[in-house]
Amino acid sequence: MKITKKLFLLFTLFFLLQGCVAVKEYNKIYINDIDMQLASPGMERFETNFQIYRETAAGANGGKTGGGCGCN
Amino acid sequence: MVEKQEAVVGVINKVLLTFCLVSFFVVNAQVKNADSLLTYRKKVLETAEIDFLTSYYNQSGSHASVTGGVGNEDLQDFSPTIVIRYPLNQDDVLTADIGISAYTSASSSNGNPFNKSGASGGGASEGSPWVASTGASGEDVLTSISFSYAHAAKDRNKYWSVNLGTSFEYDYESIGGGASYTKLWNEKNTELTINGQVFLDKWKPIIPTEFHEYSLYGSNFQTNVKSYFYGVNVIDKDGISSENYMPSKFKDFTSVNRNSYSGSLSFSQILSERLQFSIFLDYVIQEGLLSNPLQRVYFRDIENYYIGNKNAIANYSSPQNTSVFHLADDIERLPSQRIKTPFGLRVNYYINEVFVFRSYYRYYTDNWGVRSNTFQFELPIRFNMKWKLTPIYRYYDQTAVDYFAPYNQHTSSLSYYTSDYDLSDFSSNQLGVSLTYTDIFSSLKVFDFGLKTVSLRFQNYNRSDGLSAFIITGGLSFVLD
Repeated sequence: MKITKKLFLLFTLFFLLQGCVAVKEYNKIYINDIDMQLASPGMERFETNFQIYRETAAGANGGKTGGGCGCN
Repeated sequence: MVEKQEAVVGVINKVLLTFCLVSFFVVNAQVKNADSLLTYRKKVLETAEIDFLTSYYNQSGSHASVTGGVGNEDLQDFSPTIVIRYPLNQDDVLTADIGISAYTSASSSNGNPFNKSGASGGGASEGSPWVASTGASGEDVLTSISFSYAHAAKDRNKYWSVNLGTSFEYDYESIGGGASYTKLWNEKNTELTINGQVFLDKWKPIIPTEFHEYSLYGSNFQTNVKSYFYGVNVIDKDGISSENYMPSKFKDFTSVNRNSYSGSLSFSQILSERLQFSIFLDYVIQEGLLSNPLQRVYFRDIENYYIGNKNAIANYSSPQNTSVFHLADDIERLPSQRIKTPFGLRVNYYINEVFVFRSYYRYYTDNWGVRSNTFQFELPIRFNMKWKLTPIYRYYDQTAVDYFAPYNQHTSSLSYYTSDYDLSDFSSNQLGVSLTYTDIFSSLKVFDFGLKTVSLRFQNYNRSDGLSAFIITGGLSFVLD
């Protein structure tokens, strides 16, 4: 698991370094595409809801982190 | 000479007057222009939107937690929801989210597994973890209401929002609220969001019927005429009548509150014209009654006692058992604090006009011994401006909590124990598809609203412990003309 963590840190660092060049507003036509949104689609909320009952892990997806239900 | 001077002065005055008038209009026009530049901002939300969402969830399995890790897990849930987003002005949006979740659960119905036959009265009482009882706990409705208010700074580089919500069902109620702040910089290529959330929840505990009677009548619960178990034939593992069953390990709750506090950090970065990613980090503390009071536990070092058909005891863990029920030794007990630290990464890549690749990974850990990985991949395929099909695959795995053991495997000397298979070691695969129709002109009208999007989503879920489920979700999105 330590290897996985290290890989993720490297992965993240790589992307951070890549991010030094700013994309101009007029070049964001692809980035602004609805399918490029970094949030989960609204329709996914029901799946997330049953997952937090049926699974132990939750959170880190910009949505529900825990609490508000008698779930895990 | 004087006349010439007066003529010159007159010309100068006219020139000055003209200059002043021109200057006035020019300056005025510039001020107006500047004002319009200042006042024109794209609205955060152009017009009011209403989403009608609904889902149907169906589950089956053989490890019901209410009956200690064996039994029928059939469950159906129907969840209609309405979400209204209303722009208060150019910068502010109010959102209301109202939904219900109506479910029937075979497992929960067996809080009292003897409802169908009736445990009292000395008759041929029967129950089984494999047969849904007619108990009231078998169905419930969760109602949830939440409101959020979001404000955007005029330069659209800062956002903040607050939210407040409540939810309630028969045995559980919750009130929660939170706030978030988002900052964008680097020509809106980089984004950081900080979020805090608090939930103040409360159980109204429903406990299994044997503990309910024990808590009311103590050690006389099998002989007190008012007890539900009065006159009922309790048998041991050999089918011999016995009055030795005594769930003395059971203790009433000292607290029924469950509070959750979470802090979240998310960082997003555009990497190129087609690639962006986001990192999520949460820190969650939960305190209070973190177990489920309805879930039974059986100890292997305590004698087993049953109600029902003695011939079915040998097949107790088999679905063929429809006539005998094992009386529990205690309910689930879990520590009163849990700290969760999930870390997530989402990467999206715009391949071309037809395909977009969406991916998500989460690593989760907590102080109950759980380690978990989640992968999700989506590939939206756009056939044209209106139709889109999205195949979705999700893989999930987790290790068990330190306090998990299967049915009848715990020992009574332990302080914490559960036989809830949701907390066990397993992996799951979820495969599905989403179909979306979008009408950018919203040409179909319903009153003053135009239909913008129609969505249908299907997901099939299989867990390595045998639990399987599917969920169908439908959605209609309208925008105000």
